[in-house]
Amino acid sequence: MKTSRLSTALLIAYGIAILGFLYLPLVSVGLASISKARYLSFPIRKYAFGWYEDALTSDTVRDLLVISLKVAGVVTVASMVIGFFGALAFARYNWRFRKTYQKLILLPIFFPQTVLGLALLMWFNALGVVPSWKTAIIAHLVWIAPIATLVVSIRAFSFDAALEEAARDMGANQWQTLREVTIPLLMPGVTSAGLFAFLLSWGNFPLSLFSTGADSTLPEWLFAKMVSGYSPLVPTVGMLTVATSAVLVFGGLILAWAIRRLRPES
Amino acid sequence: MTDSSPPILRINALTKTFDDFTALHGINLNVRDGEFLAIVGPSGSGKTTLIRILVGMDEPSDGAVWLRGTRIDVVPANKRPTCMVFQSLALFPHRSVGQNIEFPLKLRGVAPAERKARALELLDTLRLPRDYYSKRIQQCSGGEKQRVALARALAFDPEILFFDEPLSALDYRLRKTLEKELKDLHRRTGKTFIYITHSLEEAMVMSDRIAIMKAGRFEQIAPAEEIYARPVSKFVAEFMGEVNFFDLVKGAAPGVALSAAASAALAGQTGTLTIRPESLRKLTAEGVADLSFEGIVTAEYLLGSRIQYRMTLATGQEMIVEVLRENAVEGGIGAALRVGCDLSAAHLIAEAADAAA
Repeated sequence: MKTSRLSTALLIAYGIAILGFLYLPLVSVGLASISKARYLSFPIRKYAFGWYEDALTSDTVRDLLVISLKVAGVVTVASMVIGFFGALAFARYNWRFRKTYQKLILLPIFFPQTVLGLALLMWFNALGVVPSWKTAIIAHLVWIAPIATLVVSIRAFSFDAALEEAARDMGANQWQTLREVTIPLLMPGVTSAGLFAFLLSWGNFPLSLFSTGADSTLPEWLFAKMVSGYSPLVPTVGMLTVATSAVLVFGGLILAWAIRRLRPES
Repeated sequence: MTDSSPPILRINALTKTFDDFTALHGINLNVRDGEFLAIVGPSGSGKTTLIRILVGMDEPSDGAVWLRGTRIDVVPANKRPTCMVFQSLALFPHRSVGQNIEFPLKLRGVAPAERKARALELLDTLRLPRDYYSKRIQQCSGGEKQRVALARALAFDPEILFFDEPLSALDYRLRKTLEKELKDLHRRTGKTFIYITHSLEEAMVMSDRIAIMKAGRFEQIAPAEEIYARPVSKFVAEFMGEVNFFDLVKGAAPGVALSAAASAALAGQTGTLTIRPESLRKLTAEGVADLSFEGIVTAEYLLGSRIQYRMTLATGQEMIVEVLRENAVEGGIGAALRVGCDLSAAHLIAEAADAAA
C-alpha cells in the first residue's frame, strides 16, 4: 500500500512531536545540571560542569549511590531467581492451584505503590522490624518479583515441553534436565527480567519512601531536595541516575547480542 | 502370534483412565525383537497415550509392561533403555547439531573425543555431511532435522526406538523419501522400531506389522497385506482406504447380483461384504463375474494413472469404482456402468466380529 506524501509528512511530524514531548523535559534537566546558577531558570546564562565534580566527590551522593545500588542489586538477583521458578509454576507445569496462583501473582501490581508501601511499613512495625535499606529490598520485591515472573513467563510459554521430556527420555535426571535444557532456554527471559528488576528498583520512589527508614535512595533524596534545599546538584544527580540506567540497558543488550553470536561454538 | 522367540516387549492388560475418560481399555500386545511395528489410529484413539506410557512420560492406571522379562512400567523414564523420536523432534535449539547428537553420551559421561567420533559416525549413518557437526539446529532443513533427531536417538543406543509421528509435519515428497530411509535404517540397525502414526500409508510402506487402534483398543494386529485383504471390522476396512460395503443377510445382498457359485458359497451367511474400488472391473452387458453391480455414473475423478467413478445403484446405494485410465467409461457422468469382481476379492466381515468391535 502506498501512503500519500501528506500523510507520510504528518506521520513523521507526529513521531517527532511525541519524541520531543518525551525527551525535551530530560534535556532541560540536563541543561539545568550544567547551569552555573544556583536556581533553576531559563535561559541559562552561564554554563559550568563543576556540579558534576561536586556530585562525584560528595560523600552524601556516594552513600546514596551505595544504598541504591545495594537495594537494586539484591532486588535484581532475587527477582531473577524468584522469576525463574515462579515462571515455571506460572507457565510450564500444570498443578492444582495454578489458576489461583496466576491471579495472586498479578495482585501486587494492581495495588497503588503508595498503599502497598504504607501497608508494608505498618507490617514491619507490627513485626518490630526497624525499617532500613534491607526492608526496602523486601518492599521492592513484593512489587517487582511478580513483574519479573511475568517477564520470564512470556519466555516459558513458548517453551516446548517435549524438550524436557526428551532430555529425561535420554537419561537426564531432574537436575541435569534443569541445567542442560530449562535454564539455558529460559535464560534470555531471566536476563530481561533482571534488567527490568534493576530499572524498576533503581528508579522506585513510593515504595522506598515508606520502607527505607533512616536510609535514603537516590530518588528519595532527589524528591527531598526538590521540596526543600534545591541546589544544581539535584539535576546533576538526576542525570547521573539516568546515565546509570542507560549504561545498564545498553550493556545488557550488547551482552545478550554477544551471547547469541557466540552460542553455537560454546 | 506364532513366533516362538520371546517378545522384546510385552504389554499386559494396560489401562489408562483420566478423570472421566478411559483412554486405554486393558490392551495386550507382544512385540518381536527387531520388528518394525506401526500403531495406527485416528486422533483420540489412544495411540499417543500408549506410547507415552511405554517411554515413561505417563503412568498406567493398571496393567504392566515388560521389556525382555524386566517390568519397566514402574521404572522412571530416564532409567529405561528405550528412546523416542518426538513429533516436534524436540531438538535442543540452544545446542549445535553435534551437541544434540552427543547429548545422551554426555549424560553417560563419555569422554568428549569419543563422543565426537560417535557423532560423526552417526552423521555418516544418517547421510548428513560431517561439517554439519558444528551447524546450528535452526540452520537445518526439515529433513535434516529429522535425521539429526534420529542420530541423537541412535546415539542413545536404545533397546527399542519409539516414534511419535515424526514425519507428520513434512511435505509429501520429503515424507516419502524419509519413510524409505527409515525402513532402510531399521534393516541396517536391526533394532526394534515402534512407530505411531495416523497415516496408514506411512505404516504400510515401513512396517512389518500394523496394529490398528480404535477408542483405546486394538482392532486388528497383522501384517499390512492381511489387514488390507481381510479386515476384521468395517472400521479397519474404511481406515485402510476407500471401500464399498454391502449388507449380506442370510446369503442375500441387495444391489449385488451373485453368480450360482457365489450364491452357493455365501448361502446362509450374514455380515458385511467389503469390496475395494480397485478390485472391480468393467463388465460388458453379457460379461460374467461372481459378484456384479449395475448403476449410473454420478461423478468421476482423475487419480493419475487411474480414474475413480462414483455410481448410484438401483437400490439407491452409492458405490466407488476405480479403473485404469485405458478402461475409462465412455460417456462419463450419466452413463450406465456395469462392474464386477471375483468372490475372492470380496471379503466378508461376519456379523459377530463387527458387533464386538
